[in-house]
Amino acid sequence: MTPYLVRRLALSVFVLWGAVTVVFVAVRLAPGDPAQMMLGTSATAQDVAALQVRLGLDQPMPVQYGRYLLRVARLDLGESLRLNEPAIVAIAERVPQTARLTVLAMVIAVLLSFPMGILAAAGGGKPIDRAISLISLLGQSVPSFWLGIMLILVFARELRLLPSGGADTWQHLVLPATTLALPLVGILTRLIRSGLLDVLREDYIRTARAKGLAARVVMRRHALMNMLIPVVTVMGLQLGQLLGGAVIVESVFAWPGVGRLLLEAISNRDYPLIQAAILVITGGFLLINLLVDLSYSYLDPRIRLA
Amino acid sequence: MKERNTMKTTRRRFLAYTGAGGLGLLAAACTPAAPTAPAASTAPAASAKPAARVPAGEIKVAVPVKVPTLDPHGAQSVEDVSHTVLQHVMETLVRRDAASGNLVPGLATEWKNPDPTMWSFTLRTDARFHDGSKVTSADVKGSLERVIALKGALAPQFAQVDSIATPDGSTVQIKTKTPVGTLLANMAMVPIAPAAQVNAEGFFKKPIGSGPFKVLSWSADADLRLEANLDYWGGPPGVKTLVFRYYPEVAPLVTALETGEIDFTWLLAPDQLPGLQRNAQIKVDSVPGWTYYFLWMNSSRQPFTDKRVRQAMAYALDVDKMLKDLLGASAKRATAPIPSTVFGHAPQTPYNYDPSKAKQLLAQAGLPNGFDADVIWNPGSAPQDRELLQAMISYWNAIGVRVKSQEMERAVWIDNLNKLNWDMDLQANAVTTGDADFTLGRLYHSRANRNGYKNPDLDKFLDDAVATVDQDRRKALYAQANKTIWDDAVGIFPAELFNVFAYRKRVTGFVPTATAITSFANLTVQ
Repeated sequence: MTPYLVRRLALSVFVLWGAVTVVFVAVRLAPGDPAQMMLGTSATAQDVAALQVRLGLDQPMPVQYGRYLLRVARLDLGESLRLNEPAIVAIAERVPQTARLTVLAMVIAVLLSFPMGILAAAGGGKPIDRAISLISLLGQSVPSFWLGIMLILVFARELRLLPSGGADTWQHLVLPATTLALPLVGILTRLIRSGLLDVLREDYIRTARAKGLAARVVMRRHALMNMLIPVVTVMGLQLGQLLGGAVIVESVFAWPGVGRLLLEAISNRDYPLIQAAILVITGGFLLINLLVDLSYSYLDPRIRLA
Repeated sequence: MKERNTMKTTRRRFLAYTGAGGLGLLAAACTPAAPTAPAASTAPAASAKPAARVPAGEIKVAVPVKVPTLDPHGAQSVEDVSHTVLQHVMETLVRRDAASGNLVPGLATEWKNPDPTMWSFTLRTDARFHDGSKVTSADVKGSLERVIALKGALAPQFAQVDSIATPDGSTVQIKTKTPVGTLLANMAMVPIAPAAQVNAEGFFKKPIGSGPFKVLSWSADADLRLEANLDYWGGPPGVKTLVFRYYPEVAPLVTALETGEIDFTWLLAPDQLPGLQRNAQIKVDSVPGWTYYFLWMNSSRQPFTDKRVRQAMAYALDVDKMLKDLLGASAKRATAPIPSTVFGHAPQTPYNYDPSKAKQLLAQAGLPNGFDADVIWNPGSAPQDRELLQAMISYWNAIGVRVKSQEMERAVWIDNLNKLNWDMDLQANAVTTGDADFTLGRLYHSRANRNGYKNPDLDKFLDDAVATVDQDRRKALYAQANKTIWDDAVGIFPAELFNVFAYRKRVTGFVPTATAITSFANLTVQ
């Protein structure tokens, strides 16, 4: 196990290096310039040039890249050009907010999708199965900007039960987390349903039933455990994606998360902040993937990590 | 729905951006009302303290643009929204009166020009920072030097500053290399922070100043919370807490105003207003502002090198109809290259809708069959920009000019704009300083070469207007500049935009302002 972990971590460093390098080059090749964005449309060419010198953007790209790698190696992710603070501070403020939102969304998704998936599989082909399949298809296909605004119209504007935006209290979490969770519910329910239907056709399930085990025990111990690996894999991927990809929901609900920070950094060409955010998001993604892989051997003792 | 969202963002971003673009002007301006005399201009000392009131309640304000930082000196030194929130915390030597737009005393009680290259300010002696220390001339020097050193958007406005002297604790003398007529207005953009702390790491996470509110808590993206400063020299403000929050999307913002989650917002898109006006709890105020629409034609590119072609493009448009249909009560027809609320504005003869005259001018220019051109723009940089441009394109089509729309992301658009890589450019801009210098002086001088137009006569008007502290003379020079730019049709100037404010009726004491910087210090709530 330990050699496995060491190998995975070493590999992660390479992946991170690749990610920052690609991002470093890509943001500088993209048209536009941070100094121009900061000074606005009334600035003269001289003003822009002076600011570029102050920001170190007048240096050749390899020099900038070398300096950047040296700093990253010392765990210094640089200073955001626009926020006038270390990029890592800006990100660290938002990571907990994003984490609260995504974890709650995942909890909601799990709480809804497992019962729905099991019910649908157990009632394969019957009306209950069709109803659940329809609901999960809808959940997966409704665009979240529309869903979010509909939830605001109903629960904030008409019923006045919940706030429409901001991040002060637990009540502010409900609508955005629900909006994020519904597509997940759709994906997971369908995955659980089809996984269960496959497993339930296996011989060992028939054997388990034949030896007189209760339907619940068959479902939980023999069927569910054996189709969890793809479900956990998809959950991990989705969670990783939400780390940086909940931009739309964050915008609709004025939620101060990492996705919005990254989006604004990109439109401002805030190079250090873009690089730092991608680094953190990539790191989070790698970590989640590692945890998912480690969970395989727990879920299926036949899998040994070495 | 999506369309509306986009628009909203646009409108807001437009403000943010134009703010960034416009600030410099302020410096230059000295609006008409500014104390003008080079000799002993003394503004009425704002001494009389209001009868000590007890701050009560809370006002929640939705800012139209995200507050990027609380540091007003560096890159964000012309960001309207940063100045809007920070003016409650930090004060400037002079400030704009909300109702008149004039420059009035702030931390300085009076100022004079002992000679045309020297501005001498006398500070009030009863102002104290939130930590109890006195505001002195050294603090003014420290903040101004910081603005200059950080080379942000405001720094070029102080390029002529030679030295800053502090002969005593309450006198600041700014010596310039040449006379600078805009220095007073520029100082209205320099918030004063304690010199001993201003360069310390993390100071602007929770900055202190001498203003009517103290920072309670802030982090970018989350709420900014301010609390009343009971020891403020001008007397305590009306409310105990002031909260600023940003909503990136319009639907939740409007909902929040309707449900009372927030009390105040501004810069809403025109299509949001009718619904709010019908709401009995909400009041909508609008006044002409410092923001305006313009379409530049690249005078260094064929066929726009010919003034008749540019004029033809202007005559081809039925501006009144477009404004009525698209912007309604949020705009009015512009009469000059800068809005009528700005120092240095001089009204010109409008280009009235006349397609046959347009065709005739094109024929005279040797283009009886029209021509092809493109227009670059950044969606969201102005209200109803897409619709306005579509209308323009169909009007031009009617005189045989085939125009292609080139929509660009903001960073790409600015890049092309600055490189003069375009036939035409559509955008809005704000004269954030309220003075023609920032806009006319920066954008139309040959040296700037921002639109391909070069005219030595115009350069002279613009240079002379900056290099004098005689505000009447400045005004006369800008009148000439207005006329030259308008008659030569360097651009088409369809509209000046209104500042639109929407707030719940429990908020009282609000005075709508033409400036892009709104103050909440004197509001109260029921």
